[in-house]
Order: sequence, then structure tokens, then C-alpha cells
Amino acid sequence: MRVGDIASGRSGDKGDTLDLSLVACDGKHYDLLRQYLTTERVRAITAPCFDSPVLRYEVPGLKALKFVFPQALPGGVYASMHAGLHWQKAAIWLLLDHRMPHLTGEHHAAVG
Amino acid sequence: MERPANAICSVGAGAGFAGDRIDPALDLVRSGLIDTIALECLAERTLVPAIKARADNPRAGFDPRWKRRLGPLLPLAAQYGCRVVSNLGAANPLAAAHAISGLCQALRLPPQKVAALVGDDVMGLQDRIQWAKPWQGQLIGAHAYLGSERMAQALAQGAQVVVTGRVADSALFAAPARSGLQASPHALAGALTVGHLLECGGQLTGGNYEPIGGADKPPPLSAEQYARLGYPLAHVYADGTADILVAPGAPGLVDALTCTLQLLYEVHDPAHYITPDLIVDFSNIQFEVTGPQSVRMHGARGKGVPPMLKVAGFVEQPGVLADVEIGFAGEGAVARARCAADVLRLRLDALPAHACQIDWVGLDSVLRGCARQSASPPAELRVHISAACDDAATAQWVEDEVYALTLSGPAGGCSVRSEKRPRLAVVDGLIDRQSVPTELVWGQA
Repeated sequence: MRVGDIASGRSGDKGDTLDLSLVACDGKHYDLLRQYLTTERVRAITAPCFDSPVLRYEVPGLKALKFVFPQALPGGVYASMHAGLHWQKAAIWLLLDHRMPHLTGEHHAAVG
Repeated sequence: MERPANAICSVGAGAGFAGDRIDPALDLVRSGLIDTIALECLAERTLVPAIKARADNPRAGFDPRWKRRLGPLLPLAAQYGCRVVSNLGAANPLAAAHAISGLCQALRLPPQKVAALVGDDVMGLQDRIQWAKPWQGQLIGAHAYLGSERMAQALAQGAQVVVTGRVADSALFAAPARSGLQASPHALAGALTVGHLLECGGQLTGGNYEPIGGADKPPPLSAEQYARLGYPLAHVYADGTADILVAPGAPGLVDALTCTLQLLYEVHDPAHYITPDLIVDFSNIQFEVTGPQSVRMHGARGKGVPPMLKVAGFVEQPGVLADVEIGFAGEGAVARARCAADVLRLRLDALPAHACQIDWVGLDSVLRGCARQSASPPAELRVHISAACDDAATAQWVEDEVYALTLSGPAGGCSVRSEKRPRLAVVDGLIDRQSVPTELVWGQA
């Protein structure tokens, strides 16, 4: 299952820090993403793009997860080695395009 | 549609960055629904060219697009009794206030009170700044993020236009609400939340919005709708709750999801969003859909005033960043582009590996190793190189080596594009709010 089929998201930046927000379509899928997208897993997913520790915040009232990467954009926008400026506007697709493995048992029930 | 009688203020978002569209602000004012239009025109880095312009000319250093934006807006704002608040003063808000006063006169408007908020420039207070980490290079500017209090004072003193340098974006939109809010910190938290929601203009009303499952569908708005996208406005109530709407009659999406995405945008800990006015807890915020393009926001909580203000410093580092591309087209383009990248690696062997990034625009230049490759290769693509060079001559050599591929590389290298940027880092710091004096100065034509 593609993350972007059960959640929306947006990327942002402040200085060296990249932040990614995910908002799930409902409470069940929020729980699923909360269990699946651990900081270890998110770091592994994003590692081929950049190397940074990751902090995670949960906002159950808004069915949202927040991932903050303090070292993903070293030196900020102008110091980027990407083509042009602001590649990070598309960084949310690092998570949206991720395929979660097939779900079994309890998860299947949760997803309905 | 009418302004609710119990709203303490109705504020529109007329711009979300310095280069934003001009017409959405005009439509918002013409709606007659707002008493204040706020224009966010100063991204983190936008100060840098302004600082340089001010160094060359003490009467410059504010948004060079100011006249294009305010020329059509000020007469309408005067006609509708709508106040204008903006950070387009950039590195020189006082000079901006004088220029705006002059423009009002040239436009033959009734006399307008134009206030400048000064004091965000803390270059003279460097010994008080605590930098988050050490940096190397030359500090060319340091600006503290100011809050909404002084702007609210200016409005209370009858300012029709308030122009600032660096302030928290949310403060621009919260300022007009301050005088009518209940004394509770939660009420101010609500007004600041409104500010945070509105500060990016069209990004709250359907711009840059990927719906759930969007990969298999066309974009949620048509090209015609994006081209005419309505910007948001908010009716703010005394307890800090607010109705969030799109400009009436304009296309746009305002629902719980678009609001939640903007609420969390560029926020780190959502339970602890630090603004100069107040630390705000977004955890209990709720968005209740009240109409096809309107949402009621409530539940913001205040958590105390932070003792320190954030400072953004700009550090110029020696050298130049070269960002150069060359295109390839026709059958076999991918193989020729991959070969061209290998040629560049051989030719530029003298550059340190960490100072050089080579990839392919069309394959992996954005998401790098995470880019999902499709079974069918692109028909056209570009080889991209970014190189952090010690000096301008090295950057020119990198550009020349890319150009040389057109004669001495794989066939059909074309459409070379080259940019050479100064190496500039944004560094974060903190400064005790008590040590940052601020004042209001009135513009004179």
C-alpha cells in the first residue's frame, strides 16, 4: 500500500531543517502509519536522499504525524547542491511514494 | 456574504512571498469583507539582497516590487477603509514607509498614516546573540523575529499602512486582532494560529495541495482554477476562534485537510510552536467544516511568552556554487546523458568528491536515490552538476567543461544552462528580547 493513498502531506524547511507532515484519511489509518513509520524506518526510507537524524511528533487530534530532520539541508536553501533552489518542496514524496508491505491479520481489519 | 457582526477583525492574506501574485489581494479588498490585508513578502533568504541594496544606498533595501504591489492596492484599500500590514520593508522599513507615503501622495490619496516598525536589525547587538552552532565566513546581516505588539500599537494609533522588516509571519496577521482579543493567552494563541494559517496565501486554499490518493487522479483544481486561485481571509473572534474562508466567488479548497496541512507547515513540535508573542500548542486544534469553502478553527492554546527572540544570520562563505546543466534528446538520450556524466567526473577529477554533485534532471535530480524509476525512460533529460568552488575561476572552469561536451562529448549535448551563486548560509541564533529595542516611526513623503 502506498502511503500517499491513505495520507496527504507537505514538506517545509527552516534553515538546515527539513520537515515533513503526514495527515491520515481516518483514525484507523493514522494508527497504522503511527505504528509503521517509526523514526528508524523513516530514516531508512530517506537515507538514499539525505543523511539526518529524525524527530517524530504525533498529533492524534489531527490524525497527523510530523517528521523533522535537523541536518537534511546543510547550510540552508542557498548552499544546496541540488539543481536549482528548493528541491525540498517535493521532499514529501519520499514518504508519499513509499510502499508499505502487505498487511496481514489485525492490520487488514484496521484498514477495512 | 457579510462580515459577521461579532468578529473583532477580518484579515485577508494578500501575498505569501515577495514575488507572489498581485491580483488576489485586490480581489480580497474588493470583497468588502476585510478590514486589514496582510502581505507576507519576506522569506528567510529574501533579506540578503535587501541588506546588500541598503549597503549601496541608504534609501534602498526594501522589496523592489513594492510599487507594483502597492500601486494598485493602496487606492482600493483607501476606498474600502482596509488597512495594509506588510513586512515588505525588508532591510529598511523606514525608507519603505517614506517611499509609501510618497506614493500615496503621488496617487492623490487622502493623507495616509504610514508606520514603520524598526529594531529587528540586530547586527549592532552581535555580542548578545547566542548562535545555535559555530559558523565560518563573514556575517553580512542578523535580524531578530519581532512580534505583533508594536504593529498593533501602530494600528491603534490610526496607521492605515504598517510596514516592517523581519517579524514572525504569523504576527503580521495577528496584529489587527490584538486590540479586540480577550485577555486570555489562548485567545492570542488563536489569533497567531490564524496568522500561521494565512501566512502562505494560496497554500491554504488549494495551492501546493496533494489530496489523499492524488497520484492516480488529475490535480484537484483545473488550470483555470489555479490561475485564478482565491486567497484566504479569516474572521477572528474575541476568544481566538476564527472562520477561515476563501475570497468570495474565487476558486479554492478550504476544508479540514487543507487547513491541517497548513497548520503543520514548517512547524517542528506542534505542541510547542514558538512565536515571538507566545508559544502556541496546536495539539487540540479542531477544524470544523461550516460550508463548501469555510472552516471554523478553535482549540489553540497559549503556553507562555518565550524569553528569547529567534535571530536569522546570513553568512557569506568564500567561493562560488556552480549549478550547470546540459540537455540530451532523441532515442538513446539516457545512455548518452549517463556517458556525459561519466565524462564530467573524469574531467573534473581535481574537484574534491564532496564538493561535487552530478545527477540527471528527469531521473533523479530531486529525490536522488529515492526517485522511483519508471519502466519507460524519459525522451529527453539533462545532466546536472553542482560544484562548490573555491573561487569564481573554478566555477567558470566547471561551466566550460560542461559546454565542452557539446563538441567533445556524446552526441547532441544541447541547451546548456548555468547559474553561479554566492555561497551563503543561514544561521540561527537567539537573543534576549529585553535587549532588542523597537520603535514605531511615521513615514513622511
